[in-house]
Amino acid sequence: MKTGRIFGIFAVAAALVSSPVSAQAEQQAMVISGDVKVVKTVTADDGTEQTELADTSVVVPGDKLLFRNNYRNQSTEPVENFKLTNPLSSAVVFAEDNDPALEVSVDGGSTWAALAELTVTNEDGTTRAAQAGDVTHLRWTLKMIQPGETGQVTFNAFVR
Amino acid sequence: MKRTKQMLGAVSATALIALSVSPAYAAGTTAGDPIANTVTVDYQVGGFNQTAVQDTDTFTVDRKVDVTVTESGDIGRTAVSPNQTEAVLQFDIQNLSNDVVDLDLSTALAAGNDFTPTNIQIWQDNGDGVFDSATDTLVTYLDEMAEDEIRTVFVTADIPVGANTGDVADITLTADAHAGGTAASLGAELTDTAGANTAGVDTVLADGAGDTDAANAGDFSDTDGFVVTAAAVTVSKTSVIISDPVNGTTNPKAIPGAVVEYCIAVSNGTGAATATGVTVTDNLPVDLEIDDVFGVFIDGTVDGTGACQADGVDNANSNFVDNAPGTQDQVTGTLSDIAADVTRTLYFRATIN
Repeated sequence: MKTGRIFGIFAVAAALVSSPVSAQAEQQAMVISGDVKVVKTVTADDGTEQTELADTSVVVPGDKLLFRNNYRNQSTEPVENFKLTNPLSSAVVFAEDNDPALEVSVDGGSTWAALAELTVTNEDGTTRAAQAGDVTHLRWTLKMIQPGETGQVTFNAFVR
Repeated sequence: MKRTKQMLGAVSATALIALSVSPAYAAGTTAGDPIANTVTVDYQVGGFNQTAVQDTDTFTVDRKVDVTVTESGDIGRTAVSPNQTEAVLQFDIQNLSNDVVDLDLSTALAAGNDFTPTNIQIWQDNGDGVFDSATDTLVTYLDEMAEDEIRTVFVTADIPVGANTGDVADITLTADAHAGGTAASLGAELTDTAGANTAGVDTVLADGAGDTDAANAGDFSDTDGFVVTAAAVTVSKTSVIISDPVNGTTNPKAIPGAVVEYCIAVSNGTGAATATGVTVTDNLPVDLEIDDVFGVFIDGTVDGTGACQADGVDNANSNFVDNAPGTQDQVTGTLSDIAADVTRTLYFRATIN
């Protein structure tokens, strides 16, 4: 039994369903934080190419971006069915070199699958295979996150 | 078991602003637009749904300056004639920046030109793609070029009369990006934002290297040129004795009273421009009298030896002046246009006094 455990910083009563009174000062089990880096390819003196991550101080169309989402279970309970949903900004386009197994949506989050399994309906009613540029949302699902466990999920996108 | 439901304030709630919809321009996301990345997590603890957590990271897109200048219209050097005025070169200029820019235009003569075009001017097309000094606008810069906008400009020049066939002269057109935003005024030249990132929109020069400019310098250039194709007209005049009063047409001699046919052949050289308005004028010696019954024939051909063949036409634009004996008779005629490698003739007969 988990009685009296408090999650969440503050509660909005109107949003609560069957909320116990003690939810007032709960702490959220999961903490997430994200950042974005510019992926720069630099050529070293010996001719080898290396990628560097720069901050987003200067970002122009065509730049490759690395979106990083960090998560941490700060509670003492295991977190189950962790689902992290990341809508793609309309100003960026999903890169083609992302993990093909990534779960994505090309219809605003209604249907989810690997990109290769999705199709897009053209205006004339015909369908075609979905392209990286069609991606509107990304989602990661983790079955179990142990207390104190941290992790990071990432993807690449280009500035339109 | 207890169900817990709660809302967590977003880490940076103020960043949760509505994104402006980015048009699918090649130039890309407009400078100054924010890119916000918002993630949401849902999860369960002890089998119960927990409230979604959000996190947002926002940054601003900076100004990327890119411009191209491309020869258009007549690709390759444009054929011109000596003494031609307002010979035209055409260029398409595109603003590939993600911001509105003014483009300062300048021309430069390429090195090694065979001749020097003069009176070089730049015109902005009125949209019909055809140069017309009456409807196109003389410009020194392109004002308020929108993202991805393409404009056509014409560079005109006068060709010196002394230019010869095959002579070439190239002109390089350079477009240099200046700040847009104020109509009818050339903004300040755009330069890379030096040093550390600023809070506002920084400028990154990201143009390619054109014919005479460096990459990432905010400008682009392309070269087009003129090649002179003058007409190369040569004239030969030959004569054949047709008859004399003693021998008739059998082995006639050039004695007084003999009839002589004069053949004036005008040829245009290989690769030359078509010669137009070719007028042949021949003043006969005083001891020759024009055969005004035979008349003057034009636009005939020559045989393999260069002699006139009797295939000309007695054309109304041919003329002769039959003066009294002792005064020169005159023959004139205007031939049809003579293309390269073509010979046209004018022939007439005269009597030896």
